[in-house]
Amino acid sequence: MVNSPQEDGLVLNGLTKILGGRVIIDNLHLVVKKGEMVSLLGPSGCGKTTTLRMIAGFLIPDKGNIVLDGKDVTTIGPEKRPSAMVFQNYALWPHMTVFNNVAYPLKVRKLTKPDIEKRVHDALALVNLMHHKDSRPGQISGGEQQRVALARALVQEPDILLLDEPLSNLDAKLRVKVREDIRDLQRRLGITTVIVTHDQDEALSISDRIAVMNNGKIEQFSTPQELYDRPETEYVANFIGSLNHIQGGYENGQITPGTDVVGIRPEDVHFSKEELPGSYPATVELVVPRGHFCEVYLKRADIELRAFISSDVPRAGSTGFVKINKALIYKDGKLVKVA
Amino acid sequence: MTSTKSGVTVESLGAKKAPRLSIIGFFMALPPLLLVVFFVGLPVLIAFTFSLGFTTGPNRVLSIIGQEIHKKDHWWGTFAAYKDVYHDPRFAGDMRTTIAITVISTTLVLLMALGIGIYQRMIGGRLASVMTALTLVPLFVPVVIAAWAIHTFYAGDGFMRTFFSQFGINFPTITSTVSAIAIGTIWTSLPFAILMVTSGLQSIPDALIETAQDAGAGFFRIIRTVLIPLAITPIVIAGTFTGIGILGSFTIPLFLGPNQPTMLGVEISNFFGAYNRPQQSIVMAFIVFASASGIALIYIWANVRSAKQSGRI
Amino acid sequence: MAKQEKSRAKSSSPIVKFFLVLFMLAMAFFILGPLLWLAIHAFVTNWTYPNIYPDGWTWHWWTQVFADSALEHSIRNSLIISPIVVLLSMIICLPAAYAAGRMQYAGRKTFLIGMFAANSFPKIGLFASIATLYYALNLMGTIVGVIIIQLLGTIIYMTWIPAAAFASVPRNLEEAARDAGASKFRVFRTITLRLAMPGILVAIVMSFLASFDEAQGTYLVGAPSIYTMPTEMYALVENYPIQVAAVFSLLLALPSVLLIGLARKHIVGGQLAEGFQIK
Repeated sequence: MVNSPQEDGLVLNGLTKILGGRVIIDNLHLVVKKGEMVSLLGPSGCGKTTTLRMIAGFLIPDKGNIVLDGKDVTTIGPEKRPSAMVFQNYALWPHMTVFNNVAYPLKVRKLTKPDIEKRVHDALALVNLMHHKDSRPGQISGGEQQRVALARALVQEPDILLLDEPLSNLDAKLRVKVREDIRDLQRRLGITTVIVTHDQDEALSISDRIAVMNNGKIEQFSTPQELYDRPETEYVANFIGSLNHIQGGYENGQITPGTDVVGIRPEDVHFSKEELPGSYPATVELVVPRGHFCEVYLKRADIELRAFISSDVPRAGSTGFVKINKALIYKDGKLVKVA
Repeated sequence: MTSTKSGVTVESLGAKKAPRLSIIGFFMALPPLLLVVFFVGLPVLIAFTFSLGFTTGPNRVLSIIGQEIHKKDHWWGTFAAYKDVYHDPRFAGDMRTTIAITVISTTLVLLMALGIGIYQRMIGGRLASVMTALTLVPLFVPVVIAAWAIHTFYAGDGFMRTFFSQFGINFPTITSTVSAIAIGTIWTSLPFAILMVTSGLQSIPDALIETAQDAGAGFFRIIRTVLIPLAITPIVIAGTFTGIGILGSFTIPLFLGPNQPTMLGVEISNFFGAYNRPQQSIVMAFIVFASASGIALIYIWANVRSAKQSGRI
Repeated sequence: MAKQEKSRAKSSSPIVKFFLVLFMLAMAFFILGPLLWLAIHAFVTNWTYPNIYPDGWTWHWWTQVFADSALEHSIRNSLIISPIVVLLSMIICLPAAYAAGRMQYAGRKTFLIGMFAANSFPKIGLFASIATLYYALNLMGTIVGVIIIQLLGTIIYMTWIPAAAFASVPRNLEEAARDAGASKFRVFRTITLRLAMPGILVAIVMSFLASFDEAQGTYLVGAPSIYTMPTEMYALVENYPIQVAAVFSLLLALPSVLLIGLARKHIVGGQLAEGFQIK
């Protein structure tokens, strides 16, 4: 599958959804390119799952439309829509074998038996599960169930793949492996994919672009790197990575009195014994080991900063010099300057 | 944080206490077991020996009072009473009626329960809730009242005939026919079946249905391939309980059925009381019991199957 | 997600809706029709077929029922016997249900199936069989005899439903309470029993109804010296006009209707259904 990267795969145009009198999704716009993998990232209740369910066809938006590969699918039911969804709990039918779970969409489409057999085998081979084809969902591990659900979605050869918190039920170690598998598979098949997650690590490592959602709106839609380097709003800056919040102004590497919010990433805080140009003196309050780095709390007068330091970790109580390499300045929650 | 400490404690506690607990548990389970053994198991056992022609001991009084008592002629007894029943033309008619009513009513009850349950699961809404609530009414009506109410409703001077006569239609009298028994058994069995089936269907997670929709399945295919297979255990339980209940029913056929043929429950009572033929009466009871056991096996199979599927055994 | 947002109703078409309403009306007629018809009879002087209206209205039958000492006796008997039966059933069965709820699957299964097997012997056959034993124990025609007969019908409810309720109490909630320093008994009282209460309540209601409505066995054992309301119905139906039976039916239905309010939520909420699946 070779797609021109400019082509639009999925367009959400002014989607609005009201549930139980509450506006869940508020005039949402999103354009996902063909073959792109996009994450909807946000805390629970931000409307990301509702958005996904509208894309899948389980919910009909009250306003706006959904265009998939140039075709308006807004009111097409999930059974007719060329999308395939992997549910959070995988939703494997416990009374069917792995093979039959995967074969189900093809049987519905009334394919011939040999055809079904071949495509199911291909799908299961793709997710490395041929040896479990006669097992029941209850007899295989969580990670394997996840892959079955994925195979069941892929076997439909959908125009768009939808994943609802696909990794949340896996343990930490498995999560990293499975997300790499998913990423790898998605790249190989070039399938347009929307993934819902509340885990920023997951979103950052898996997506081409991330839509950070808040209160039914998209706060920012950009690449992971951009999100990290230039969070457009204070909300996004908070949600992606860690941040020191300081009320005040920022000039020439120094915090000055003011009414803006200065956001400084702990990894942009440099600490050394020697004074450097633009640095100022501070005391080490607390050192918390975090594995391959240490979280160091530095204090000068009324300003407290967290820094991530991986080598030459100072002792608590010692003194030294702080240098701020980069700061994000927000006014009314919006980014106004990167310094 | 507490995992290591309390984990060990719980484990060692469990290991140490397990045998003692099961002994206590056994004694706790004893009272209803004893009650059942003494007042169900024992009488049934004695009755069984009586049906085989053991007329001494505890069976002495009944054998003196009763008529047409057969005494055993082998060491294991005699089948004479069974032969009596088998050759009794009344029994043949009753047996046919009993089986027909059981099969027809159970099937209809299950279909109604499935219809209402699926309606509530797939479509829902207020109408569905009202309908489910409505079908539970019979659960709270004593069967004697139900039987009598249905009796008067479909009687010669009952509502149905009164209503239709206003339009010059001569509606048949259903009371005292086999159809009335069917109506009565359906009426009384409906709530339990609906509760079982509805709760079975409701416990199917939305996602399992939605995945099927997502895969392109239509309404009826989802019912056939997802809903019914996933709720099969409660459906089978509903069916077996309904079947067993109808098989042994007494009050409904007594109030609603014809004199002949009727259901075996009534005939057991007739043979025991009115005809004073206790041995034949008991033989019939065992025939009904044997049929019920057959149905019960299906029930047990369903339970074991569901336990296996969810990995409990 | 909101549960109301069900899989897109396909049936919003008016024709389907029309048939659904029609079906519901038919069900309502089928279920409620006979009850209403009987209830109306409690207030009519006579109803000549095929008139659409009764001949007249009266309270006469109510005074007749309350004046009749036999009928009054049966009401009193019912109101005394059924609570005793339920209480005994609880004392006998609830500990067993708790034990069963906490047993390994195999043990619980054996126990519950045993109870079930006892229940699937046709009642009328059992009552015929039990006569022998009752004669031997001098229980025929006694209150104790009637109580035992009715007790047998409640066991299935009082073991199965609470057993499932106890089994479904999460162990970690109990362990958390133990961890918080509560004694075993306190844990049982404040956690286990509390959480199993809806199931027990449903069992109590079902047992009460089973006992209160039991007619065949009570008649066989109790008649002619002890009549309860349902067995009195047998006699009423034969010897009195339909209106008296109607009055009596309304009285007999009263406790059931009161109990609906008490436990309807839990019965509909699945406690009953849950109780009949061995888990």
